[in-house]
Amino acid sequence: MKEFVYDVFTRKERGDRLQHVGYVDAFDDETAKIYAWTTYSEEKWFEMCVVKRTNVLPVNRTDGLFVEAQRTADV
Amino acid sequence: MSEPLDLSTLDSALRNALSRLIITLADSKRLMGIRYSDWTLGAPSIETGVSTASMAQDEWGHARLLYAMLKGLDIDPGPVEYDRSGAEFASIAPLDHERGDWAGLVALMALADGALSTMLRSFAVGRVELAQNRVPKMLAEEEYHASLGSAWYRRLAETEGEARDLLTSASEEMLPALLAWVGADDASARAMVDAGVIDPAEDRLAAFRNAVRDLVSLVGINVDAVHAATDWDEARGRTGGRPDEEACERARGDRNRALLVE
Repeated sequence: MKEFVYDVFTRKERGDRLQHVGYVDAFDDETAKIYAWTTYSEEKWFEMCVVKRTNVLPVNRTDGLFVEAQRTADV
Repeated sequence: MSEPLDLSTLDSALRNALSRLIITLADSKRLMGIRYSDWTLGAPSIETGVSTASMAQDEWGHARLLYAMLKGLDIDPGPVEYDRSGAEFASIAPLDHERGDWAGLVALMALADGALSTMLRSFAVGRVELAQNRVPKMLAEEEYHASLGSAWYRRLAETEGEARDLLTSASEEMLPALLAWVGADDASARAMVDAGVIDPAEDRLAAFRNAVRDLVSLVGINVDAVHAATDWDEARGRTGGRPDEEACERARGDRNRALLVE
């Protein structure tokens, strides 16, 4: 069963910066949202979002997690 | 929403019917939590294990709130929670035994937890004020369970081989008991319908069938052609059988009793 990495972003209060708090592995967007909500439940978040890592486009780096994700997606 | 019922003025038949509904829902939530917790350390991924742990907590929270509703009927929830034998438990039949495979748990998540939500939705819009106030938050939490159950159900149904077969057989096994429970139309159920506590049996059944029709069709089941189980136990408000003793001990917290400080 193919899974994808989704990065998890949260903000605690309205107006806070959205911060990267971690990631989950999931087979689709819906399960990624549930896994994120149940895994990163240590705070009462004002907002939580997930982004499929392959949708993050590296701008200045030619190495690292996001470049690796692009390479995997191309396979 | 209809005018709330005054619970202090219910006749004994309606009072018994309402307590039966609450206990069936509460026992089922507690057992559902146990079945989720069985998979916390054996789920297909860490994320799924964390989700089952979270859902187990949700279910136990819901159970506690439901048992507490018995106070509205002047019933002490303590003995109901902690002192009943397994034969008196009223949890729905698909929760009677631990699910030995992940496909079985997915079927529970999608179908049994779905049946519980169908009944809770009906209860929440009825005339019991405690349900009007407490159940909507439970249903909001249940949306995550339904989404996860549906996603996994679709995933396993798309596969070829053992996982799909296990999902199919678990679904076929559960549906008759769930249809019997959701569509109960005995004297107690009718008393609750007449009093506006829950919707009529045909409406509850239609809601449940609509909720699961597309999912179970993925494994070749036509939910409209499935017949309800016939071994209805009117006293407990469930079909025959009982939960296994280990689950009852865990539900009652027997081993924790020694730690209780009065």
